[in-house]
Amino acid sequence: MFLRQYVPMAIAFVMGVVFAVQYYVPHPASEELLTTVNDWLIVVSGFSMVLGLASLMGSHWAKVRRGGPGWGYSLVVFLGILGTLAVGIASKGKMFAGEELTLTALGWVYDNMLVPLQGTVFSLLAFFMASATFRTFRARNLEAGLLLTAAFLVMLGHVPLGEYIWDKVLGFLPPKADQVMGWIMNVPNMAAKRGILLGVGLGMIATSLKIIFGIERAYMGEGG
Amino acid sequence: MTIFLLMWPLLAFGLELPLLSASDLPGDDGKAVLLLWPRMPYEASEVFYVVQGAEGPEGPFEEIARFPSNSHYRTERRAPFWTWRKGKDEHFFVVRTIGGRPLESGREYYFRLGVDLGEGPSFGPAVSAIPKPNWFDFKKLNNLIFMVLLAGVVLWFIGRARKKELFLRRIPGLDAIEEAIGRATEMGRPIYYLTGRLGMSSVSTIAATIILRDIAKRTAGYDAQLKVPHTDPVVMAVCREVVKGAYLEAGRPDAYNEEINFYVTDDQFSYTMAVDGMMVRERPAAVFLMGYYYAESLLLAEVGASVGAIQIAGTDAEHQLPFFVTACDYTLIGEELYAASAYLSKEPALIGTLRAQDVGKAFLTAFLVLGAIASTIGVWAGIEHKIDYFLDILRDFS
Amino acid sequence: MRKLAEKILSMDRRAIYLLMASAALLPFLTGPLGLPSRVSPEVKAVYDRIESLPEGSPFLISMDFDPASKPELYPMAEALVRHAFRKNLRVIGMNLWVTGSGMAEKILSDVAEEYGKKYGRDYVYLGWAPGATNVILGLGQDIYKTYPRDYYGNETSGMPVLEGVRTLKDIPFMVDLAAGDPGIETWVVYGKAKSMAGGCTAVIAPGMYAFLNSGQLVGLIGGMRGAAEYEALLKEMGKATVGMDIQSTTHVLILGLILLSNFAFFATRRRR
Repeated sequence: MFLRQYVPMAIAFVMGVVFAVQYYVPHPASEELLTTVNDWLIVVSGFSMVLGLASLMGSHWAKVRRGGPGWGYSLVVFLGILGTLAVGIASKGKMFAGEELTLTALGWVYDNMLVPLQGTVFSLLAFFMASATFRTFRARNLEAGLLLTAAFLVMLGHVPLGEYIWDKVLGFLPPKADQVMGWIMNVPNMAAKRGILLGVGLGMIATSLKIIFGIERAYMGEGG
Repeated sequence: MTIFLLMWPLLAFGLELPLLSASDLPGDDGKAVLLLWPRMPYEASEVFYVVQGAEGPEGPFEEIARFPSNSHYRTERRAPFWTWRKGKDEHFFVVRTIGGRPLESGREYYFRLGVDLGEGPSFGPAVSAIPKPNWFDFKKLNNLIFMVLLAGVVLWFIGRARKKELFLRRIPGLDAIEEAIGRATEMGRPIYYLTGRLGMSSVSTIAATIILRDIAKRTAGYDAQLKVPHTDPVVMAVCREVVKGAYLEAGRPDAYNEEINFYVTDDQFSYTMAVDGMMVRERPAAVFLMGYYYAESLLLAEVGASVGAIQIAGTDAEHQLPFFVTACDYTLIGEELYAASAYLSKEPALIGTLRAQDVGKAFLTAFLVLGAIASTIGVWAGIEHKIDYFLDILRDFS
Repeated sequence: MRKLAEKILSMDRRAIYLLMASAALLPFLTGPLGLPSRVSPEVKAVYDRIESLPEGSPFLISMDFDPASKPELYPMAEALVRHAFRKNLRVIGMNLWVTGSGMAEKILSDVAEEYGKKYGRDYVYLGWAPGATNVILGLGQDIYKTYPRDYYGNETSGMPVLEGVRTLKDIPFMVDLAAGDPGIETWVVYGKAKSMAGGCTAVIAPGMYAFLNSGQLVGLIGGMRGAAEYEALLKEMGKATVGMDIQSTTHVLILGLILLSNFAFFATRRRR
């Protein structure tokens, strides 16, 4: 009970107070403390990767052993991990080598696998955005109508073709499409974002204070 | 020629050089020196001040800065009134390097000030100062006072909440949790809970783990299947403890399985594709997206919507809110995510902090309005320098 | 009419995906639309700031993005590095995202080759170092301690390109190109550079306007449009300008879909 509950609470309290105070102390010792603790975090994250890797390998190995549905894909996971590790070690972690800076095996994997795969996944957003807007951007009530109008104007002002359409259809109006978009982004959008950020900031302070003073202990699990 | 005509009395009768003073710059890390000297009658844009510094009394002196003599007044320094007197009666200059080398704390440095009328600078006597590190930055005093006040208000309301029931408005997203879990139990399909992209150092992730505890307790009670894929191993370790504790509290230790929380990968889109694939194959009945998200928010939410899951999202990432609002059934916006633990547990201590947040927000709004009115009056009446005394209290000087 | 409206409302999402793909491919078939982007004040501010730097000034560019954000931030980085080399500035490149190292290196070396710039004298690529916050704090104290060696393993102290540069305060202007965290906010909070501008993906750009308005950022280049505007200022047609054609057609398609769905929605509602 002492180790599971009181020791973590004490650590949370001490570290919370120390780093709250650290912000007000300009002495080099204070910045040294901050960088040291950040280094500790990096080290802990490094070790925790072992934990994550063990969990990942464990669940996929169990699937392969059981011969459950999709076990072949679990084999692909192993091949991917071990293959990239081998390639990375062989290339000594470098993407380019030699005076001519030729592409190493790791560089080849990066250029021909990681870059196109990440780009492909990110590009899915365009399709999902289209289907999401078609499904939900309907003027069901006043608020939805306002949202729809603002989104319409911002999208129109964001692209050259939109500006061209605006000039042809609403060119008689004094503001141009990009000016309307700029006003929406800089005025109502900014006001709303600032409001949300203020609330989030206060929420963060309150949550942090709850954790520092031990009022909030749910994150401790069994000890909480 | 113009300069000569203007300055010939000084050249003829001898130039009076300003008296330079040097001291440690207060409230810093000990790597800067503050130079001050009075305003002189002959100052003009054509007359230059030249600042030189050396590591020894005999030099060699190196030029640090050269600027027109009608600049660098006290008024131009950005500092609050309780640490710095503003005015145009004195000049200031902050020295951080000599010859490109940063000043070292505890070491004596020598400075001299020269006046250049166009014929080369004439220097006054050298003065010395030792930069020292300070333990408190008084420029942030207003920040500290506000923080202590807010902490005090939080603790006061916690005490008050224990004696008197405080009103809490409905948060539809949190009320829908019971409905979502019930739906998953009836349909015999799993519940997915995602904790966001950031690690345990993020307050939104902490808030997500707190909500997870409540959901895990309910799924244990309903005997529903819970799955929590992770992108951060530390968060996974914490969530394992949270879920285990929740199952124990619900009296269902037999139903607990360590594989409820499992690690996928820390790469953003690899994680997204893995979770999307799981959602398409297993068709969860409920998906909870709590925490901080980036571009993957819509990818996750849209796939969840396509498999017919009821989706409840909660994030303080304001740039992803539009996507969650569009694709999810319920969205907790910003601080509603942090309010979840109080809302779900109804614990007085936690509800008290929510009320304290509201009081803080009321004060912020009042200061916003007062600050805007004060600034406007300052500009209209030409008394900005007087209004600055009030506005300094609200400014950040970090 | 009602039946048509109901059919439209229940349109298979795969049909929408197909329309989207067609809109994206259209500019490849029709050729460039040739429509210019009007330059916004926030992008012009970045351009003007670089223009105001004297020749030989150090210029730091932190390319904090991964391959997923390549379409938006790669052209931005190229345009900025091109501008810096045109002004004969000393370019210092780095990144806080490990998966972006390859791209950052490629941008610097490709553009440097175009302008005949020499590594070590005109530009340097410091690479990635762990612990984003610590790296930025370290740069504020001593660049050589934070990066004792560059990306290729060369010692940084004594490099001509870094002459007179010891800390962030010795760099008159820097730009951070970010796709998330660590990114612009991290640099603003921990870096406290003398003068800083930001470039980011379009989705997080609205959140950066607060820093722009407060003066913490001198300018902001948002998304592919911002990159296209910058290319227009440099009088070059780069990848962003080409990409804007695709953005144009897809945006107009989405606008059309919104109008269609609302028309169908009201058509079905009226009858009820």
